[in-house]
Amino acid sequence: MKNFVKTLAFLMMAIFSVFVLSGCGGSKQANSPEDIKKTGKIKIAVFSDKIPFGYVDKNGNNRGYDVYFARRIAKDLLGDEKKVEFVLVEAAARTEVLEADKVDLVLANFTVTKERAERVDFCLPYMKCMLGVVSKNGTIKNVSQLKGKKLIVNKGTTAEIYFTKNHPEIELLKYDQNTEAFQALKDGRGVALAHDNTEVFAWANRNAGYKCGIESLGSLDAIAPAVKKGNKSLQQWINDEIVNLAKEKFFHKAFDAELKQDFGAVAPDSVVVEGGKI
Amino acid sequence: MDSALVIFEGANLTRLLGGLLVSLRIAFLAVLFSLVGGVLFGILMNSKNTVVKVLCRVFLESVRIIPQLVWLFIFYFEMTKVFHIHIDAEVASIIVFSLWGTAEMGDLVRGAISSLPQHQRESGFALGLTKIQLYHYVILPQAVRRLLPPAINLVTRMIKTTSLVVLIGVIEVLKIGQQVIEISIFSAPNAAFWVYGFIFFLYFIVCWPVSLMAKWLENYWASKGV
Amino acid sequence: MVSDKVLLEVKHLQKSFGDKTIFKDLSLTVRQGEVIVLVGPSGCGKSTFLRCLNGLEDYEHGEVFLDGKAIPGEQKSWYQVRQKIGMVFQSYDLFPHMTVLDNILLGPLKVQKRTKEEVLQQAQNLLERVGLWDRRNDYPSQLSGGQKQRIAIVRALCMNPEIMLFDEVTASLDPEMVREVLDVMLELAKAGMTMIIVTHEMNFAKAVADRVIFLDDGGIVEENTAEQFFTTPKTERAKKFLDIFNFKE
Repeated sequence: MKNFVKTLAFLMMAIFSVFVLSGCGGSKQANSPEDIKKTGKIKIAVFSDKIPFGYVDKNGNNRGYDVYFARRIAKDLLGDEKKVEFVLVEAAARTEVLEADKVDLVLANFTVTKERAERVDFCLPYMKCMLGVVSKNGTIKNVSQLKGKKLIVNKGTTAEIYFTKNHPEIELLKYDQNTEAFQALKDGRGVALAHDNTEVFAWANRNAGYKCGIESLGSLDAIAPAVKKGNKSLQQWINDEIVNLAKEKFFHKAFDAELKQDFGAVAPDSVVVEGGKI
Repeated sequence: MDSALVIFEGANLTRLLGGLLVSLRIAFLAVLFSLVGGVLFGILMNSKNTVVKVLCRVFLESVRIIPQLVWLFIFYFEMTKVFHIHIDAEVASIIVFSLWGTAEMGDLVRGAISSLPQHQRESGFALGLTKIQLYHYVILPQAVRRLLPPAINLVTRMIKTTSLVVLIGVIEVLKIGQQVIEISIFSAPNAAFWVYGFIFFLYFIVCWPVSLMAKWLENYWASKGV
Repeated sequence: MVSDKVLLEVKHLQKSFGDKTIFKDLSLTVRQGEVIVLVGPSGCGKSTFLRCLNGLEDYEHGEVFLDGKAIPGEQKSWYQVRQKIGMVFQSYDLFPHMTVLDNILLGPLKVQKRTKEEVLQQAQNLLERVGLWDRRNDYPSQLSGGQKQRIAIVRALCMNPEIMLFDEVTASLDPEMVREVLDVMLELAKAGMTMIIVTHEMNFAKAVADRVIFLDDGGIVEENTAEQFFTTPKTERAKKFLDIFNFKE
């Protein structure tokens, strides 16, 4: 039995060490545009359940604003918009997929922040996110109208931080959940609701009688493609692509194709960025 | 009620079932490896050798203490970052769930084996059985009966925990459910209720036969007075 | 009945558990067909001695010879030797997940690799002798304690052992079942089986033993014929020991 136990223990160790050692050879560089052309396929991380940016429709096809751009990248880089492999990611794994070379590019509603910029390289932005204020019939058209009235916000969001800091004169009504907050607006507990403009656009579009009186407000978040830290050649290629696409107002087309049905009659410029110029 | 129809729109149903297949494939293979690995690991854990014992303990505790999600990240992302080995997300999931299952199953096997009376071993040896024959014919068949209820519990837990694999990009049934709910936000506001209900039903028809079989085996063995 | 041929020889056996010495320098010669009964107070090492004889316990010093051949102390050689030494324990003997017949066939088929027909024939003969052939497909939990012990004896016998060791086989039985087990052993003795028996059943010992060995304090205190040991023991300690069993007012 002693021998049997020893053999088994040895076997386990052996398997483990082979497993570990087999990996210790050569380091891999991130794919440059040339490398991607050689393999004939670009791997892009997108969301699969964030309508209208990245989602999967009922027939199982990837759709959304990010996906629309991704297909165009494939077309311009590889000559065929089908030569893209979509890797579906969760928000928490967006930096990891780049660091571990699982994808070449992340196009998943990725907001540029200082912390993230230390781990990945962001390209020029193709979208922006600001605050929006929705009210009944869109009556609230500027912040001064809110003075002395109740404004609904979600706890911990940019909206809460912005109004607490810049407009202490406005009374805030705070909720934990999105659904609660929007319901409170419907119940008339506040005159207006402030949230990321992409959220309020979609909600106002779905709820007749409500409009976004203020479409963009406060600090601006840039949303940009990201490549692996140090992949300068791909970053450069994407930046050039974004600049070139401005000539044909590509992102306005993307807005019409993917966002309009969801956002309704809002000005495309409150979300869309052309040529990387915010 | 209309929201329920979301499940049957377009390719949704086949996609959900396809997702279930992914969940089951991971769970089934992981359970299979865990059963084999767990028995070997359980025997190892019963070893009198202190070094082997300590190594087993370290393995068991590290698998237990570190959350499965972290293990998934280690095998899918860190392996590539540190060693440049690319492990397919589904394979990584199977490895992680097998390791987890092996550790937990091993501990169950260890418990079941050490709960057998010493006399069972001795009367086996007295018949001239070798250690391997003793485990084959005497110890393991009895241990299996003792560890069946906790093992079934572990198996159903493993099936349910497969939903974690979405975090390394494996699209399984729960994620497809979320995708379906998301695109139905306008057309069917109650889709979430029906889709989650349907997924619950799918999990149920998978786990139920497992419990049924366990119950049947227990009754069968009980009738034999074991 | 007892031949001159020496079957088992134990020389200078020493065994201790940690600091506690169980016995030191214990020697014993068992001839073919001989029935030896080991008696002595609890904890005197009777069971441990039996367990040393088939390798369930290691010992520090001494040698054991079977058929004139020394048994090397290593674990591996015991697997061979154990086939020739049958052993029946106090309890929990049978494997609860196997039928009576499977319990009996396991050793002969898997260890000795004998053919099923042959073993089955032998098992039937033995089971009929102990009156339990009709219980062959039962599981141990369906049997009484006495029946289980008789089956355990059959299971050991089916290996065709050269010697049988019995370790207090009736100690955990209800009184009314003791007899049926002892009868089987008595019959075995008559049939010429070499046996070493540890028991507290003094009347049985008197009836079955060719030789009684009284163990105490880690050594053999008295070795005597059954007749003399129980009527006129040579040593004071044996006398004292036997007094415990003679209920006097």
